[in-house]
Amino acid sequence: MRASVASLYQAVELHQEIPPLLIGERCNPNGSKAFKEALLSEDWDACLKVALDQEGRGAQVLDLCVAYAGRDEVADMMKLAQLFAGSCKAPLMFDSTSPATLEQVLPLYPGRAIINSINLEDGGANLERICRLAKKYGAAVVALTINREGMALTCEQKVAVAKDIYTLVVDQYGLRPEDILFDLLTFTVGSGDETMRDAATETLNAIKQVKEELPGVGFTLGVSNISFGLRPAARKVLNSVFLRLAVEAGLNTAIVDAAKVLPYAAISEADREICLDLLFNRHPEALMTFIDHYEQAVDQEDNEDSDSLPVEELLRQKVLSGDKDGLNDLLSALRGRWQPLDIINNLLVPAMREVGELFGRGDLLLPFVLQSAEVMKQSVTLLEPYMEKLDDDGKTSILLATVAGDVHDIGKNLVDIILTNNGYKVHNIGIKVPAEEIIAKAKELQVDVVGLSGLLVKSALLMKDNLSQFQTVGLTQPVLLGGAALTTKFVAVDCAPNYQEPVVYCADAFAGLKAIREFEAGKLLSTQWEESSVTKNRPSPQQEVLDRSFEPPVVPFVGHRLVTDIDVEKVFSYLNTAALFRGRWGYRRGKMSKEDYAELNTNTVLPLFRRLKDQLVNEGWLQPKVTYGYFDCVSEGDSLLISSDSGEKTFSFPRQENAPGLCIADYFRNGAEGGDKVGFFVVTLGKQLAERTKQLYEADSYHDYLMLHGLGVELTDALAEYWHEKMRIEMGIQQERGSMDAYVAQGYQGSRYGFGYPACPDLGAHEPLFEMLHPEEIGVVLTESFEMVPEMSTSAIIVHHPQAKYFAV
Amino acid sequence: MRYICTCCGYIYDPDNGDEMNKIPPGVEFDDLPESWVCPLCYAEFDKFDPLD
Ligand code: B12
Repeated sequence: MRASVASLYQAVELHQEIPPLLIGERCNPNGSKAFKEALLSEDWDACLKVALDQEGRGAQVLDLCVAYAGRDEVADMMKLAQLFAGSCKAPLMFDSTSPATLEQVLPLYPGRAIINSINLEDGGANLERICRLAKKYGAAVVALTINREGMALTCEQKVAVAKDIYTLVVDQYGLRPEDILFDLLTFTVGSGDETMRDAATETLNAIKQVKEELPGVGFTLGVSNISFGLRPAARKVLNSVFLRLAVEAGLNTAIVDAAKVLPYAAISEADREICLDLLFNRHPEALMTFIDHYEQAVDQEDNEDSDSLPVEELLRQKVLSGDKDGLNDLLSALRGRWQPLDIINNLLVPAMREVGELFGRGDLLLPFVLQSAEVMKQSVTLLEPYMEKLDDDGKTSILLATVAGDVHDIGKNLVDIILTNNGYKVHNIGIKVPAEEIIAKAKELQVDVVGLSGLLVKSALLMKDNLSQFQTVGLTQPVLLGGAALTTKFVAVDCAPNYQEPVVYCADAFAGLKAIREFEAGKLLSTQWEESSVTKNRPSPQQEVLDRSFEPPVVPFVGHRLVTDIDVEKVFSYLNTAALFRGRWGYRRGKMSKEDYAELNTNTVLPLFRRLKDQLVNEGWLQPKVTYGYFDCVSEGDSLLISSDSGEKTFSFPRQENAPGLCIADYFRNGAEGGDKVGFFVVTLGKQLAERTKQLYEADSYHDYLMLHGLGVELTDALAEYWHEKMRIEMGIQQERGSMDAYVAQGYQGSRYGFGYPACPDLGAHEPLFEMLHPEEIGVVLTESFEMVPEMSTSAIIVHHPQAKYFAV
Repeated sequence: MRYICTCCGYIYDPDNGDEMNKIPPGVEFDDLPESWVCPLCYAEFDKFDPLD
């Protein structure tokens, strides 16, 4: 029987009368921009269009790949497989190395599919799972000659790995030889890399030999890899000649863009010879002759296809546009011309510097900077195996830590990302790091600079203490300080005098980068503070007289209650998207026109939001929980005395020095007035979100890391907003649901003040609060600095007084 | 022109001014005094983004 695959509509033989069978490669986010954009914006019809276009141009089987960082491969695959199955005549090739994805999609497909692909990279565990699936659902498999040592380069290696795979697939897991399509791998002959001169011959010989030694098996090949790095017009000819040779050697299927294959007869004798010289490495100048010959060749696609640019420029553009597609091929082309270290220092680092400058001028938004950093990171990762040793010796090195008592990770990690991807060596030693450990590490690792991070006022004070300790033990490194609670003045006046080396305030990661460069230039100075700087206003409601005629609200219960069944959609409905998009995510309008900004929103921001939201909701990363309560209280001077079942608690608040002289305690009735009622809550999104963001960081998905964290931050606030409204309604000071505008502008009765914010700055109030509300029952605990863990948690005191508004003290 | 605070979503509208900072109606964003901060979250000018 001859092997074939099938869709719902037709069967297609793997060995065509006139080989090869053409497999369309464009339904792949890493291979086609159009498909990637369609996938990310979940425009399924546009995805289908890419598939149908290929059919129209002669593809007989369609490869379908949906693996993309941050997306749910299983869900996307199911969605598109079902859509394609009903609409495409060509059978599908499921391009995934994840058994979990294949497990879900194969039973859905109403035909005989091809699985792309198996290999021995992990020694065979995935191969076993996938073969069992192939057997169960009657699929064919593409097998790549990759094993633990990596990709097989020589004919000998290719044949050996193919045989190992054959033994497992056929002898052990019971597939038929004709169910296998070996992809013996093609590498470019266009890079000038000396070791790859025989790349074509190795592959062709391997096809012949495997065909002979393992009768019955089929083959496939990503043909266009052979010419990577060359000009498009030249590539088309070389690809076509190589395809012809491969078919002669025994290739029966090919992964190509059918529209870009020339009939052999249409290629002139002279062109053929030049291609054959290069493919068979017939003389040392073959590549140069080939390049010269096609110097003048024009291709209609030259303009639209960026391949025509020099590879060095292409890499710069990849970094600037944050585009990882085809990076591996591009770097292998570059390796033919440059040492890996030179690619990093002379091409990648300057491109990242350019990214930093664009960001500094407001011409590039933060999310795009992170995508650029991802390109940098991945490039370095891809180059590392080719470097003799990781030469970190010459690099300036930085120790980064978040100070004791503080679990805030993301600020420090962003600094790590920016510095590392600008070519510096960063030792990121984590959160909650005591001064002793920082000192020990700084000495042990002999770093050049120390960077401290922290979120809280308490952390800022700790930094100051740490500096005195650094001074005592004689550290010699300059220290960079960063984090929300620091100011230029605090660093200059309170911190810098405690330490003999420069102490520098860094408002963001790029200020850190600038400081490192100044350090290298021998120009780093401690932060200065000029008295003349403008003193900022302290906004406040302007009322002079507080109304005392109000009645305490009627509360539904006294004491605390836990709520754990909270609807995630409901939380989303309180989300402040302006703050999320422009603030947390950094998609600011800045210099953009209104129209351009609207376009950015529709094409980039909203699709991103939908993608992350779906992920959070569908994968269950949110566990919103609340503990809240109402208590009897009396106002006494600047304090509020509260009775609870864990005893009487005192909360003290600061008073404005100048008129109107507000203090939160004033909003409550005193003993003589008959006392009052006060509310409190602690809300949390749970700890899974932190785990998810951590995974993204560890996977170098910088962009999604910041985006997910930002979304979590605003969702925490949304939950607080939701619960505050719920409590207002329970207390009868509001009748029905308000609007987002009203939430932002406090267009409701009463106010919620978070501990640690200006009107009630003492985070120590978390101690009595925790005794009253028992947040540990919803999984929230305190650090020694009274920070709440998990981080996506927030607390507040709920004031019902009609004149209560935010104010600064 | 209105401006939005990228930290908290507060919108400065010249037609309304800003009572919390004692700014009467009619003052354009660009003409706010240097000491002005967001009345709700105290963010400074550089955190504001044009809206219209
Ligand atoms: C988002 C946010 C939240 C979120 C998330 C918190 C979190 N852990 O991420 C939520 C809503 C949950 C929250 C809750 C609370 N928050 Co809050 N929050 C913020 C806010 C607005 C931004 C923090 C943030 O994530 N920034 C994003 C990251 C990427 O920036 P970053 O850490 O600052 O890092 C950048 C720079 O600072 C710098 N940098 C940082 N470190 C370093 C180090 C070096 C070496 C260098 C070079 C640079 C550098 O580079 C980084 C990247 O550019 C700040 C105010 C502000 N404007 O910063 C308040 C702020 C931190 N929060 C505050 C408070 C009070 C709270 C709460 C206690 C309120 C409450 N009662 O519930 C809780 C506590 C939460 C907890 N888990 O304990 C106060 C803290 C003040 C204090 N008293 O300690 C702040 C400062 C607001 C204020 N102005 O009062 N908060």
